[in-house]
Amino acid sequence: MAKLKISGARKAYGATMALSRGDLELQAGEVHVLIGSNGSGKSTLCKIVAGSVKPDSGDVVLDGKAVTVEGPRAAKALGIGIFYQELSLAARRTVEENICLPDLSMNGPFVDRTALSERAGRYIALFEGVAGEGFAADARVDALRADQRQLVEIMKALATEAPVLIFDEPTSALDRAQVDRFFEILRRLKTEGRAMVFISHRMDEIFAIGDRVTVLRDGRTVGSSRIADTSPQEVVRMMVGEEPSLAAAAPQASVANEAKRPLALSVSALAGPGFTDVAFDVRQGEILGLGGLHGQGQSAVLRALFGAAPVTAGSVTLDGAAYRPANPRAAIRAGLAYVSGDRGRDGVIHGRTILENVTPIHFLRNGLKLASPSALRAKATPAVDALKTKFAGFSHPIGSLSGGNQQKIVIARWLIDRPGVLLLDDPTKGIDLSAKADLFALVRKLAAEGMAIVLYSSEDAELLANSDRILVFNGGRIRRSLQGAERTRFNLYEAAYEAA
Amino acid sequence: MSRLLDLARQPLLVALALIVVLLIVGELLSPGFASPTQIMRLLIVAALLGIVAAGQNLVILGGREGIDLSVGGVVSLSAIIAGNLMNGQDAGIPLAILGCIATGALFGLANGLGVTLLRIPPLVMTLGMLGVLQGLLVVIRQGIPSGRAAPGLSQFVTQPFLFGLPGIIWLWVAIGLLLAFLLSRTVYGYRVYAIGSNEQAARMAGVPVAAMRVSLFVLSGVFAAIAGICLLGYSGSSFANVGEQYMLPSIIAVVFGGTSLAGGKGGYTGTMAGAMMLTVLQGILTTVNIDESGRQMIFGATLLLLMLFYGRGRAMRA
Repeated sequence: MAKLKISGARKAYGATMALSRGDLELQAGEVHVLIGSNGSGKSTLCKIVAGSVKPDSGDVVLDGKAVTVEGPRAAKALGIGIFYQELSLAARRTVEENICLPDLSMNGPFVDRTALSERAGRYIALFEGVAGEGFAADARVDALRADQRQLVEIMKALATEAPVLIFDEPTSALDRAQVDRFFEILRRLKTEGRAMVFISHRMDEIFAIGDRVTVLRDGRTVGSSRIADTSPQEVVRMMVGEEPSLAAAAPQASVANEAKRPLALSVSALAGPGFTDVAFDVRQGEILGLGGLHGQGQSAVLRALFGAAPVTAGSVTLDGAAYRPANPRAAIRAGLAYVSGDRGRDGVIHGRTILENVTPIHFLRNGLKLASPSALRAKATPAVDALKTKFAGFSHPIGSLSGGNQQKIVIARWLIDRPGVLLLDDPTKGIDLSAKADLFALVRKLAAEGMAIVLYSSEDAELLANSDRILVFNGGRIRRSLQGAERTRFNLYEAAYEAA
Repeated sequence: MSRLLDLARQPLLVALALIVVLLIVGELLSPGFASPTQIMRLLIVAALLGIVAAGQNLVILGGREGIDLSVGGVVSLSAIIAGNLMNGQDAGIPLAILGCIATGALFGLANGLGVTLLRIPPLVMTLGMLGVLQGLLVVIRQGIPSGRAAPGLSQFVTQPFLFGLPGIIWLWVAIGLLLAFLLSRTVYGYRVYAIGSNEQAARMAGVPVAAMRVSLFVLSGVFAAIAGICLLGYSGSSFANVGEQYMLPSIIAVVFGGTSLAGGKGGYTGTMAGAMMLTVLQGILTTVNIDESGRQMIFGATLLLLMLFYGRGRAMRA
């Protein structure tokens, strides 16, 4: 009998289907790997088990009994512990307090500090020797490094002593020795008969620790197999599914033609927080795709190029001249444009008019002092129309538009005065399909007219369909460059899931 | 009914309606309250407050909890400097104006740099600056006699100049037109709203956010300094902490005029109406013999009520 069985779990957020049919069968004494590309529904499935997301439908059977996990507390009572991908630590508290936070040792109404220290100490001891400098029971969490914080989160999950443990990307920040120690612990827990779900994007880890693998694709469980009976290639194939002939859809500039075009942007040995040794060239008229899993440095590189994130090493050449990205203002003046996928944070000037949202770049590029609304409207109209933006008038507030149209306005601000290089940082996040289509039609047109474009998209299909060339990022480095017929989903995933 | 409610949410209309109502109430309580000479006097007093509130308005529009609590101190200091530099002589007026504006700009610059470079919250920074100014005023009082206003200045503030209105009213109107133009027809104005509404987005769109914010505090200091000079002209000579009374009303006028304390929304026209409304209210309170402490309580309560009234709109936006 399975320790935990989930069947037909379904969860939609508005019109977005996060999980359409999630199935998982977890046995006692196994490490069960859950794998799938960006947005395939892994995290949603985990959250349903942990009670932090309520499914629209589906059954959860624990020890042969149907249960409903009403919330995190209910999950704890049922014996389910979880390691969250988004770290859930109390930053200003100590390591030991965080470890025991889900279940504080009480002495009447007071926290029993002695018992708490003793209990936390047992879990801290598990990682003795690999936790690194500064890691102590009484160290404050905000003083720790990223890998050390991740260890605290692991200890916190272990301290629940739950029969079912879920680890959602627990190893992403850990070094080799820490991962090895963690795997030793998992192996021991297996012998105790615990059931564990393990999510990782590193194929080598999956095959080192997993007993069984379940693959999700587009919100559905598409297969499950014993690790011993499969191979990394087989797993990638399951993740990819039937591969449509995507490469054919892309407007592939001929390679010979490409080489003749002048270089627009050249990056060498660039390093900063979240990326190292990044080097690439983009020619005029080329769409260079940045691929891979979320947060492997793609966005950090784009922000750094735009002067919005620090660069610690390396050099950049823009249109043949040395360029140092000091701040966004300097970047814009140098002819760079940057569109963020987080429009609420980086793009939209809330509560103001559409005109005010579409004009700031025009002001800067032309050194304007006066703002004449009628002249600005005339300037902005072609840019806004090029994106087929639907709006009632420039004097209406930006908030009156749909998300997709807001993003179009934010993009249009870059098009009044054409930049030389357009950096797109997951620009279609959270916008509707027709807006996406309008955006990419324009992006291709701009490239055809000679603009150099660097595109990061968390949607692999979008990336494959629109890039002339794709650089696959993994662990902050470029792992592979895919050109021409190599630009397949299979190759993209294989490089993205390679050992970092 | 909902149309009426919408109307009630138009701060400018509310302020103008309240001014009329208050004038009528004042006339009923004390006949002669709304006489032309009396209204003229109220307008002059409103202009003084309105000029201080102009700078306050800009700082608040710039967002990130922008507020300038040091305006009262700058007004007082400016009145003393002006009095000493002109000392009753018209010839001293140009130097007095220059000296006061430079002083106001300097304190504004210090506030702006503290807020941007040192990342001190505006509330704390300008409150600290107010403390510094108050201390400075005490020191100055002990060594320097309070100067006197030049006749030309007093005339500018109190005597009819054009169409029966004194120069200060025209100055206020000019400031109103200037700010309306600045905020709606210049790149600077667009950027004020941009940083007030979404500082991160403004930075990503190439707006020099820190320089903008510093300039807003400088302008606030300059406007407070101008008000200080005019105040000297109004009262003839400066006295201790003459400007203290402006801190709270300058904020209330801005909020009453429909500018959001969260920044990025509002304008100066409403603030002008707010300044007039407050001045009339103050006149009524004086007429019915409510003393300074009572007035302060009423003003404080007014601000809190305003926050309650306009707070819903902001909560919905956030």
